[in-house]
Parts: sequence; structure tokens; C-alpha cells
Amino acid sequence: MPYYRCTIPQDALSFEQRQEIARAFTDIHCGSTGAPRSFVSVAFFETAPDAAAEHPTPYYVDGANRAGRPESVKQQLLSDLTDAFGRIAGVAPGQIAGRITENPASWTMEGGFVLPEPGQEGPEWYAAVAAAAD
Amino acid sequence: MAPITFNCTIQEGMIPDALRPRLAAELARVATGIIGGDPADVAVHYIEIPYGFGFRGGYLSTTSAVRGEIPPGCDQDTRVRLMRAIQDLWMELTGCTTDELVVSARDRRV
Repeated sequence: MPYYRCTIPQDALSFEQRQEIARAFTDIHCGSTGAPRSFVSVAFFETAPDAAAEHPTPYYVDGANRAGRPESVKQQLLSDLTDAFGRIAGVAPGQIAGRITENPASWTMEGGFVLPEPGQEGPEWYAAVAAAAD
Repeated sequence: MAPITFNCTIQEGMIPDALRPRLAAELARVATGIIGGDPADVAVHYIEIPYGFGFRGGYLSTTSAVRGEIPPGCDQDTRVRLMRAIQDLWMELTGCTTDELVVSARDRRV
């Protein structure tokens, strides 16, 4: 967690664009929340041209984050993510939308640790995460 | 809908096809051993992300995410015991590290 699931049309984005979006999402999420970079996952799922529409727009960012952040933070985060996506992908604002859903941090284990609630990450937790990533 | 469901998001090339049925059987056995139920009622789905489509920290990902949905009302000690047991079995069978695995056990929305 966080996990950003991006739905895109088939063959719409190159590898370089996908990677640039993933890096931008990591920068934005970590800049907003202070989360370790290694926790940010981004995946792209292509939809076939004849597939039924799963979302209201051809490009969609479906984020899953830890619960507990103010609504204003979530809205700004989503806005920054979709702006970056549109810029890198060359997609008009009306073609991309998204949402951020939340679950309690205590429902997820990552790097061998149950996630702390937002704002409850002490220096010991950051040190343990860094050590696990080495 | 099965009382317990696991959606396992894996990266292409990381989990051999031949291993997946055993992983599914072990997930069912471990989950029902901790929170109850019949292993036959546990549903396990794999979602494979093609190479070049999954990233973590901005780099290509080797991480698997095992996302469980369990009946609501599980206490936190039991939930942690379940997540740790899943982590242990997944690491043992796949050879991945703790840094290559995310496990969650969320309440099924009713």
C-alpha cells in the first residue's frame, strides 16, 4: 500500500510512458504523505477496444491507500496524480478520472510489518522498513 | 460468493504456473485453519501483470500482493496471525523475500 491501478486503452502507452507515470506517482504520493518510496505500487491494465467500459473515462486511476488522511489531502493527491498522468500520457483532462479508496492500515502487512496508521510512523518503523529493503 | 477470497496479483515470470494450485491449496488450508470454514469454500484468483506493466517505487516490480477478503468481525490478533501465516507460506513456497510481498486481510464489505 499504496496501490494505484491504472486502466488504459490497449497499446495506448509505451513502456517509457508507463515508467514515467509510475515514477511521478511515487514522487507525488511520497511528497504528500511521507510514505517510503518502496511502498508505492503502480500497475497498468489494458482494456481491449471491444471491451465493455469499466469506468466513465478511457483512462482511470484507482488508488487504494491507508485510511485516516483528511479529505482535502486525498483530493489534492488525486488531482496531482491525474494531472501528472494526463501530462505524461498526452491525455486531455476529460479523458481521465480516478478515485482513492481506503482501508485501515492494520489490515495490511508489508515488508514483514503491519502498517502503522498515517501519522503514527515512528523512526523505528522507518528504520525497520529501510533495513528490510536492503 | 465464497466466505474467504484471495486475489493474488503477481508479476509475469515470478510465480510458475505449476506452483499456483499448491499456493492456492495452502492459502485455503491456512486461512480456514485460523478463522474457520471449509477449504473447499475458499476462492483463490490470480491476476498476472505483464512484464513492463507493474512498478514499485518507480522501478519494475517483483512484488506479489495477496489480498484476502474475510468475513467481517475478525479481531486484530487473529488477523495478524493470518497475515503472518500467509506471508510465511508464500515465502517458503515461492522463495520471495519479505520485501517482495504485500499481504492484506480485509473485511468483506456487506
